[in-house]
Amino acid sequence: MKKLSKLLLVLSFALSISSSAFAVTVASWGGAYTESQKLGYGDPTAKKLGVPINWVDYSGGLSEIKAQKEAGKITWDIIDVFAMDTITGCDEGLFVEFDFDKDFPPAPDGTKASKDFFAPMPSKCAVGNILYSWNYAYNTKNVSGTPKTIKDFFDTKKFPGKRAIYKSALTNLEIALAADGIKPGKGGKKIYKALETEKGVNRAMNKIKALCTDPNGGCVFWSAGAQPPELLVSGEVVMATGWNGRFFNAEIGEGAPIKQVWDGQGLDYEYFVLVKGGPNEADAKKALAMMTSTEGLAGSAKYIAYAPWRKSSLKVMAAGEPWYKDGKTNMVPQMPTAPANTKNYFLVDPIFWADNGTELGEKWEAMKAGL
Amino acid sequence: MSSETGKILTTDGIPLEVSLKKAERKNKIKAFLLVAPLLLFLLITYIFPIGDMLMRSVDDKMVTEMLPKTFKSMEKWDGKELPPEEVFESFYLDFQKLVEEKRDGKLSTQLNYTKNGFKSILKKLRRKAKNFEEGNYKEQIMAVHKRWADVEYWRAIQRRAPAYTSQKYLKGIDMYKNEEGKIVSVEEDRRVHRILWLRTLEIAFFVTLLCFLMAYPIAHLLATLPMKYSNLLMICVLLPFWTSLLVRTASWMILLQQQGVVNDFFVMIGLVADDSRPEMMFNKTGTYVAMTQILLPFMVLPLYSVMKTISPSLMRAGKSLGGTPFVAFWKVYFPLTIPGIGAGCLLVFILAIGYYITPALVGGASGTLISNQIAFHMKSTLDWSFASAMGLMLLAGVLAIYWVYNKLVGVDNIKLG
Repeated sequence: MKKLSKLLLVLSFALSISSSAFAVTVASWGGAYTESQKLGYGDPTAKKLGVPINWVDYSGGLSEIKAQKEAGKITWDIIDVFAMDTITGCDEGLFVEFDFDKDFPPAPDGTKASKDFFAPMPSKCAVGNILYSWNYAYNTKNVSGTPKTIKDFFDTKKFPGKRAIYKSALTNLEIALAADGIKPGKGGKKIYKALETEKGVNRAMNKIKALCTDPNGGCVFWSAGAQPPELLVSGEVVMATGWNGRFFNAEIGEGAPIKQVWDGQGLDYEYFVLVKGGPNEADAKKALAMMTSTEGLAGSAKYIAYAPWRKSSLKVMAAGEPWYKDGKTNMVPQMPTAPANTKNYFLVDPIFWADNGTELGEKWEAMKAGL
Repeated sequence: MSSETGKILTTDGIPLEVSLKKAERKNKIKAFLLVAPLLLFLLITYIFPIGDMLMRSVDDKMVTEMLPKTFKSMEKWDGKELPPEEVFESFYLDFQKLVEEKRDGKLSTQLNYTKNGFKSILKKLRRKAKNFEEGNYKEQIMAVHKRWADVEYWRAIQRRAPAYTSQKYLKGIDMYKNEEGKIVSVEEDRRVHRILWLRTLEIAFFVTLLCFLMAYPIAHLLATLPMKYSNLLMICVLLPFWTSLLVRTASWMILLQQQGVVNDFFVMIGLVADDSRPEMMFNKTGTYVAMTQILLPFMVLPLYSVMKTISPSLMRAGKSLGGTPFVAFWKVYFPLTIPGIGAGCLLVFILAIGYYITPALVGGASGTLISNQIAFHMKSTLDWSFASAMGLMLLAGVLAIYWVYNKLVGVDNIKLG
């Protein structure tokens, strides 16, 4: 009996070592998003590589990985993070720095990886995963006329009714300036230049303040991604900013009377990072290269309306339309990176927000307290 | 009596006193070993983390060690105008060393906590510093970015010189130590923490009050009804406990929003006009309603357990001695329930000042509380020392309230059941 239990102990120990040594663990946001990642490129990669990929949920931020590192027991290999976190984590030495063109495969036509990605990476530790956009949508039943531009979002005369905007300053200051007449310029450079100055920040804050205190307008602040479509459908607000994937789900998936406007929107990104000293760094690196390849990234867009980072992935999708999993919806026009949708947009600048986020956040809260 | 006869000896010749102590010591050790796991548990899960938080919130050795030369040369600088060439040179030397060790990122994160805007200018400096010529570092550094020619940024670096600091606590109440060593407030449009502290206290206070007003009659009813009804009622009180917090919050949103069920009902019965529906959600009203409902059981249960022990004959005696029902209630019943009120109020208040998910969802523009700020610095900026400082300030606030309560009512009076 004793021998048996000892044997079992040794066996389970060996098993726990081997399972952690052979699997790659990816931390992501959970829900439909992780599902799209798992089906789109997680499972195919695991099959090709012969290494199981485990998906665990987390709620964003770097506190968990920092705590894991401080405790000396890192359990994650790859993390799906915001742009700002790639910068902070890279600076803190939590993530592996990449040699981009060497570590990631070129596009099918031979374009180097660094040229194939939609924009340059914010830090040496990041590799692009999806792009989503902060655009606004309206309820077609409660709005007379057709809002077409970002100016219309702030135009309470033409389109009276409450608006829903994000609870913190991120992207709100940018759209305020875009609506106030600043042309975003290439990738939104002009907006961020204006926001570098005190005057520009005040101009943006005043624009928001005017909208929220307008008797014909008014603001509802949303904090969870599911709120904007819900607020639109219930009639609580007439227009709402939000994430395009959520609006897509409400419009196509549930048939809600919602229409998105592609003007003055902010393109934001999700990245993968490779944890330094993770349990299975070598395999994780290989898996990451496969997951972010042209076919890999295109795969996830089959299940969710977020755009793959690689430009070459869009071509794969266009050739395979209707790409959406329901077999009848064309996905390329739904992509925030599609040429028709990127006539007037800005790229959310993670470096600007990493630099100024705290102080702008304080000013924003103070402004909100005075509403 | 001589000492020899005074000592009582045991059979083996050892004085009884000593032998007794020996036996008792064994018992003491046994008793201690019995509580040792609990003690260890408390130490590991409670004392140690709080100690760690306290250390984090004041410890600033990291930056002190990163810029040794800079801080040394800054000792002579008065902080009025831009520092002399010497400071620029030593900063450059310190920084180059950090770049070699790949620790410059950590420095930029740390300095960015003190003053926003350091991250990008340090990155720029790293790129440009490779091509620096020897000598005249002041001009070369200032040419990298205009912020390097702004004395504010150098003052911010100077503020990080001491190895131990109270800065994070000052920042928690929107103050800082200026270059003359005086403690002053930050610019007016950035004084947000004070607003948040006051708002947190206000919301916690009113939620506690509302909970008390609603829980008292419910608890009384529970305590006086016959068992078969009171059990059913008890289940109704406890039911929210078994539902997820987010579900409850979301259902309040559906009920109370302007196009929500309650407002639809008001319009239907003609209480309000369709175009002037009252706003009951996405403002403080929403927060009060949702939080009161969520925290109500924490008030009902201690009140109930205390009321259950009050004999109904006491009220009868009060009335038969000539008191009106109100006098009997006020003079006899109410004072007996004070231990339950104390326990319930403390419990609800302490839980309420730490709440942040519910207010963020239903509170609209006023939905940010101090705990949101703590979570923000824990998760996004990774400024754990600031988060620790604010956490400890919150803890100090709770302890202060506990102390006041002890002075006014007496802690021995608290009764949880």
